Amino acid sequence: MDDITTQFEEALRRHLRSGKPNAINYDMELVQLGLDSMTAVAVLLEMEKTFNIRFPDEMLVEGTFRTAGKLKEAVQMLRERQAA
Amino acid sequence: MTRPLPDRSLGPEWTILELLARGIVNDSERQMVRDLLVAETLNWGELLEQALRHKMVPMLAHHIISNDLRFDVPTSIYLHLESALEWNRFQIQVYRREAVCVAQALAGRGIHFVVTKGIAFESTLYGGLGTRFMNDVDFMIAPRDRELVLSVMTELGFRTFFEYAKDARREEISSRLNPDHLPKLARTIDEPGIKTIQIDVANSLTWAKSPFDVSVEEALADRRDQPVPGMSGVTLPCFRPNYQFLFTVLHLFREAWLQKFVDFGSDVGLMKFGDVIRLIDRDPKELTDGELLRIMETHNVTDPIAWVLRRTDETFHTGTLEVLGLEERGDEQLLASQMQSKGYVNALGTSMRERLQSKSRGSLLQAVPAHSGS
Repeated sequence: MDDITTQFEEALRRHLRSGKPNAINYDMELVQLGLDSMTAVAVLLEMEKTFNIRFPDEMLVEGTFRTAGKLKEAVQMLRERQAA
Repeated sequence: MTRPLPDRSLGPEWTILELLARGIVNDSERQMVRDLLVAETLNWGELLEQALRHKMVPMLAHHIISNDLRFDVPTSIYLHLESALEWNRFQIQVYRREAVCVAQALAGRGIHFVVTKGIAFESTLYGGLGTRFMNDVDFMIAPRDRELVLSVMTELGFRTFFEYAKDARREEISSRLNPDHLPKLARTIDEPGIKTIQIDVANSLTWAKSPFDVSVEEALADRRDQPVPGMSGVTLPCFRPNYQFLFTVLHLFREAWLQKFVDFGSDVGLMKFGDVIRLIDRDPKELTDGELLRIMETHNVTDPIAWVLRRTDETFHTGTLEVLGLEERGDEQLLASQMQSKGYVNALGTSMRERLQSKSRGSLLQAVPAHSGS
């Protein structure tokens, strides 16, 4: 597992309330893993802090964090955009 | 609505606040408060702390002053209470003026809106006595007018509250993800002691993606103009009683039932329940003529309404469920639940009464998976 994935999963696990799954299922809806409106805010803040990124307004919608896979894609895209 | 005197099991300080919150309506209640206030064993520190937590200091002060209890209260405490009441009256005057200013601007652009909560209640449910505490002015608009209202507010000098918040980015993300309100708005004003005026504009009677809702457009269609004390000929539009009741109760439900408000330390207080009781006391006929029940059933909000009223009756010994004909209504599983966040039901091992009194409500939370049936 690369560093980014490790950091991403650690950050995500800190805010999910449905216990601490050993392996994050990237296709499962985060709501099913215990994400609610408040933890969603905390997760996005944590991602911004961990990866030194900022979600633009148009990405502050449910689709961005519907699944762990979607969220990771968004984080990677913002990191690449920032690096460019 | 009659109700028995409360039991004193949670202490004299708490009993005083429960009585004041639900409204003193007869001599036996007045006498009970008097007896408790003049008792030498009364813990003033506890009373003042709980009054502060429940935003009831001005109300406590007004009761003591208007019932001629000045010389039964320690002098230093009396002086503080007196100034707290005067200060609240001054703040309310400023809020009234600001509310009217915003209201005139919105009306001038043809926007349908009402004022809600404190600014709507202080002059009606609380008699314009300066006893209802508020820390912002609340408006309700239709979702379609969000952008237009934001533009009007900007013209009036308001800026998004993010800039004033302790954690600005958290506020900003939260606001974008929960579009049931506009971002909180504030502007600095030139008043001694008041640095900013905050305006909260909601566009939902519940919350974003709530399973319970009542159409805002429908609620706004039939408004009532309410005189503004101290401003001759000036009025503010409010919901008519049925929708005012629905919004007030659903708002209380939101703050009591969603765990995030406990986590934020901003969930329900005695005053919010007091608003509900006073609304029923003020308009019993209009709330029981069948129309309210019809609206509740049409929008499928009987369950959350019954949830709130059950807790109101358990806490304050009122008979709100009976008055509104809802004793047999409501889904028992929801009625029995204490709180919910997506995917989880969190059981508080205590009653609403104990929850209200608790000074560390977060510690009462016990996360229990929803499928456990808790």
